Amino acid sequence: MTFAEQFPIVLGSLNTGFLQTFRLFLITLVGAIPLGMLLAVAEISRWKLLRAFIRTVVWIVRGSPLMIQLLIIFYFPGLVLNTPIWGGGESGRFAAASVAFIINYACYFCEIFRGGIQGIPVGQEEAGLVLGMKPAQIFFRVKLLQVIKAILPPISNEIITLIKDTSLARIIALQEIIWAGQSFMKGSQGISGVIWPLFFTGIYYLAFTGILTILFARLEKKLSYFR
Amino acid sequence: MKKIVAMLLCLVLLAVSALSVAEAAGDKDYVVGKGKLIVGITDFEPMDYKDESGEWIGFDADLARAFAASLGVEIEFQEIDWDNKALELDSKNIDCVWNGMTLTEEVLAAMTCSKAYMNNAQVVVLPAAKLADYATVESLASLAFAAEAGSAGEAVLTELGYTVNAVQNQAAALMEVKAGTSDAAVIDALMAAAMVGEGTSYPDLTYTLPLNDEQYGVGFRKDSDLAAALDEFLAAALADGSLAKIAETYGVQAALITE
Repeated sequence: MTFAEQFPIVLGSLNTGFLQTFRLFLITLVGAIPLGMLLAVAEISRWKLLRAFIRTVVWIVRGSPLMIQLLIIFYFPGLVLNTPIWGGGESGRFAAASVAFIINYACYFCEIFRGGIQGIPVGQEEAGLVLGMKPAQIFFRVKLLQVIKAILPPISNEIITLIKDTSLARIIALQEIIWAGQSFMKGSQGISGVIWPLFFTGIYYLAFTGILTILFARLEKKLSYFR
Repeated sequence: MKKIVAMLLCLVLLAVSALSVAEAAGDKDYVVGKGKLIVGITDFEPMDYKDESGEWIGFDADLARAFAASLGVEIEFQEIDWDNKALELDSKNIDCVWNGMTLTEEVLAAMTCSKAYMNNAQVVVLPAAKLADYATVESLASLAFAAEAGSAGEAVLTELGYTVNAVQNQAAALMEVKAGTSDAAVIDALMAAAMVGEGTSYPDLTYTLPLNDEQYGVGFRKDSDLAAALDEFLAAALADGSLAKIAETYGVQAALITE
């Protein structure tokens, strides 16, 4: 089979794979950002026990490889608890991967949010109180926009890392783009023993992170007031 | 506090081990009950591979379809990571491994397997230009081999005391030879027949010298009664000629075990 004949088949397969990558990316963001905010709020709350609990969770999740977390979340229910909650099909694998990614990224986001909130000088809170504002008013009207400005660069860092981390989901046989590229090394749809589709997946990642970089640069520019 | 934590941990461990002992003897009932047989496969021509419309075909795929029909259940093919096959089975994410699986000691220890249904061998793949220099098993001793990690090929090479680079899969082993990072590879004969030589992606490679004899079987969960059910099904399919017919479709009739 010539390269010209291979190309459309490979492209179709990589597109399907990338769609799965993109879905995992999107659902992780949608789940992890709100969960991360919740964790951040809990981590700076007044209750010592809650703080300690969140810190332990964050330590465990950030301190162990995402690959291990994927394996545990997918295999543990059936293997140890004897109740295979995910189902073995592609949708079950996607659900398990989503849960693992959301928990993992929420913990990173949590630390970024906490840093952003705690980075605001205490003087602003005191000034607000003196002026007779309520703590909630101070948070939403004075601090929040500054927090968003401050955390945008680290958040964009995490988001770009996320798009590449999705490839780890192949360990539980989620057929994302790396899996799709690799399948042609062995043989798939009449094409076997070719390695270029695997390298070609890099183009997808580059294009996608390129778009994200531009979007974030625009967003940062839009938020560049207070100077 | 520490004592309480230790006691709790013990309890959890006990509960976990109790649960895992309560494994199903009625695996067939479990599969029939949920109405679906999930077959763990990899893309492996001519056993399991996709046709142009994306449907799974191949000798094993067709046979698995017929077996599922005999049980009266639907079939679902799920691609798995070959390294995790036992894990996939035990966690019930798949119900069997049916993908030209060599019945090695490790496989037999981890799964309850059907009787062997097909013969295979591990063969040496090397550049066609070098073929004449390596006519005997002894002459191969100086070569650096590539073989799939955990495969039958790796086991044979280790037994012979040859140098082995363990790589991710059989395709990667071929890639090593093509790239010149290994001198030769050891892979399944059936796969070599499909992937190496003229008209394939590896026209400059050829295969020779079987290093062993081995057989393919289907793996089920430990102590599953599905293995016996499959043995019955295979015996019947052999007797009525349908097994040979499927084998001929994919050109593997010579390797079929017919006794």
